Amino acid sequence: MSMLNFFSDPQWIIPNIIAPFIFTAVALIFFRNASGSLALYAVLGGGMMGMWGSTLYGAGFALSFDRWNGTLEYVLATPSRLVWIVAGRSASSAILGLVNALAVLVVAVVGFKAQLGIVDPIAFLLALVLTLASLSALGVLFCSSFLLTRAASVLTNGLEMPIYVASGSMFPIALLPFWSHPLSLSLGPTWGIDAMRYAADATYTGMGFGFWSDMLVLFASTIVYLAIGFWLFIVVEKKARRDASLVEY
Amino acid sequence: MASQFREWPAFRIFQSSAIFAFRALFSWLRPEMWLMQVLTLPLFEMAFFVYLGRFVAPSTSNIAFIAVGNAMQVASFSSIFAVCNLTSEEKWQGTLTPLLATPANRFPLFLGRAMFQIFNGMASIAVGFIYATFIFGVDMSHANFLALSLVILITSLAMTGFGLMLGSVGLFMRTAMIIANIFLFIGQLLCGVNFPVTVLPTWLQPVSYAIPMTYGTMAARAAVQGWGIFQLGPVLLQEIGAGVASILIGYLLFRGFEILAIRRGTLEQY
Amino acid sequence: MPAKPEKAITVSDLRRVYSSSRGIFKKTRNVVEAVKGISFDVDYGELFGLVGPNGAGKTTTIKMLTTLLTPTSGTAKVLGFDIVKDVITIRRGIGIIFGGERGLYYRVSGRENLRYFADLYAVPLSKREKRIGDLLEMVGLATRADERVEGYSRGMKQRLHIAKGLINDPQLIFMDEPTIGLDPEAARETRAMIKGLVEKGKTILLTTHYMFEADELCQRIGVISGGRIVALDSPSALKRFVKDVTVIEIEAFGVADADLTALRQQPDVTTVNANLEGERQTIRVQTARGSEFIPTVTKLLSKAKIMEVRIKEPTLEDAYLKLVA
Repeated sequence: MSMLNFFSDPQWIIPNIIAPFIFTAVALIFFRNASGSLALYAVLGGGMMGMWGSTLYGAGFALSFDRWNGTLEYVLATPSRLVWIVAGRSASSAILGLVNALAVLVVAVVGFKAQLGIVDPIAFLLALVLTLASLSALGVLFCSSFLLTRAASVLTNGLEMPIYVASGSMFPIALLPFWSHPLSLSLGPTWGIDAMRYAADATYTGMGFGFWSDMLVLFASTIVYLAIGFWLFIVVEKKARRDASLVEY
Repeated sequence: MASQFREWPAFRIFQSSAIFAFRALFSWLRPEMWLMQVLTLPLFEMAFFVYLGRFVAPSTSNIAFIAVGNAMQVASFSSIFAVCNLTSEEKWQGTLTPLLATPANRFPLFLGRAMFQIFNGMASIAVGFIYATFIFGVDMSHANFLALSLVILITSLAMTGFGLMLGSVGLFMRTAMIIANIFLFIGQLLCGVNFPVTVLPTWLQPVSYAIPMTYGTMAARAAVQGWGIFQLGPVLLQEIGAGVASILIGYLLFRGFEILAIRRGTLEQY
Repeated sequence: MPAKPEKAITVSDLRRVYSSSRGIFKKTRNVVEAVKGISFDVDYGELFGLVGPNGAGKTTTIKMLTTLLTPTSGTAKVLGFDIVKDVITIRRGIGIIFGGERGLYYRVSGRENLRYFADLYAVPLSKREKRIGDLLEMVGLATRADERVEGYSRGMKQRLHIAKGLINDPQLIFMDEPTIGLDPEAARETRAMIKGLVEKGKTILLTTHYMFEADELCQRIGVISGGRIVALDSPSALKRFVKDVTVIEIEAFGVADADLTALRQQPDVTTVNANLEGERQTIRVQTARGSEFIPTVTKLLSKAKIMEVRIKEPTLEDAYLKLVA
């Protein structure tokens, strides 16, 4: 249902769909002279960006939309806890994100004749799914911040680009200044994409922790995000019922 | 004489539309938020492509190419996005009908609303160059700052005209924001921002040359390397040409929309 | 300087057809004739009302006369100028008050809205501020003029619409449903304002579907139904149309639609109109028969609980109901 509502007002999601396609195209042109495995960076990165846009912001904007529509109060009044509603929305936007990612991959392979050879498909799939989970969890966390302040939606719109950079979506994070590394490493997607590169390319050395370490951290990050997100929701719900401030800005 | 000019209806329409659009923007987005977006988005967009460049071909000239290109590309946010936002706002508020019911001359009405964005664009590009110089290490020691300023001015003007045209196209669509978002980023691919236009397939290049920014990036790089205004003349004239063409097309579309809507009775449909 | 034309508005066989097509492959055309050839005149200084049910063609007509819609055929002159050829001249001389929630710039103040439109209408700078001030006084928004429109109530927005419609001090003013959606207090004030404008010599054409409003305000009324004018006269003349009609008004609870249908099928019953206000129903029966008809009515409505039965003088509303039936 929320997905349908979403499709009827595409403007909220479009920014997050278009940028990945364009950035991937630019990257592929950058990589045109590079060897096959390097091109992997571009394609994978683009796919990931596509996924992240939809997933991260799906839940948030849907809620923002609710707020605008005035339906937020009604949603709150329903018996089911807000958390589960949001979780459901996050899940549906995650699926949307997956479709988005696949679209980018297809366009990259077909349009640019890029080569995407995956050495270990099962590991790859596993990494993909877990990254998706981590993103949904991050989305839940963002969502709760939206409820606290309307400024949050503007803020997170601005976070899209920094995440593309910090997570090393298309280039190794080693290139980034050393003081930013802790930031990069605190993001689940950073580990996810590293893991996916391991699964796709046999010669990949990446961050140097190995595939399974990546997966472990990815899993842990999901848990952590969810925990913080849930906690924030409880805080928000209590606050809202106490001073009915959710409808106001 | 001056007071006669101030009374001149076209000028008043122009000025009012400009001030109005300015207020509308700032009422929606509190200044701090706007400032943050203007300062951070360009930084990270530039960072993304610079690091990508460093990964693939880390020569200084390549990095400089990318950084300067991105500094110019920053104008897209104000020229395209904000202008299209205005169109959406008008539709949503239902103020398109009252506007068109007035006897006001359509041309200053059409142009005036975008005026503030020109200044916005110039300021953003300036910020972009600050980032390029101090964070990404572009060598500005040979730069001709006068020429560069002119390039920035012309690019901002021309791109705002381009944005106006996109806004007019948006009048015909259910949501103008889709167009705005496409063109916000498409410059990265088409306008010689990250690599020369000549790298693109030949069938795509004409599209690039229709967008003023393509000339802007070329001229900006030349100015950074020390070219003077006269040497940049041809490129700048082409850019002005592209900008003027955009404004004219945009205006024609705007009038076309009005006439069509009045004939079909669809003025409030969107 | 051309001689002053005789009439403020002359409409001659105006028609408007809307066509829309649906579907991509198998196009189905939907053609609606909203206005089917209407003609009427409005004098200078007159308050003319165009009344009719929703969808009758009132709004389409007023849009054509205010140059926001081109007619399919027929002609009309506003202030002596053709609505298709002399669009700019007409726009300069008329005021348009369409009301509603939209049509104002939300994020700026009421005063700033007026200033913008003053500029668009080329109101001389020397007169601008004073006129804005006077208009704000007149509509009672002087104290709230510098607040953002997004914070205005429905009634305040309507008042701002009125001020905006008068910003160019027009001779002729068009109002589309000026009191719709207003609470009774605000509606009363609006009507008083409209009367005040006519007293100052303005010409007004307004549309409404409130009969009592048309009765109170208008010197002449055109009744429009199904895209045609079915009557054109002063309120008193129109009321004579129903002078032989008795109106029986019944206050009841629980009247079923079947009962109303049965009532309508009675001979000598012109119209039966039911008004629901919560549980309570007010039923107006028009009949040529007079008070002797009452027992028949109460018998047909015996299943319901009847609170009161009254004989009423036919009003303009009754004339209207008879005309549009």
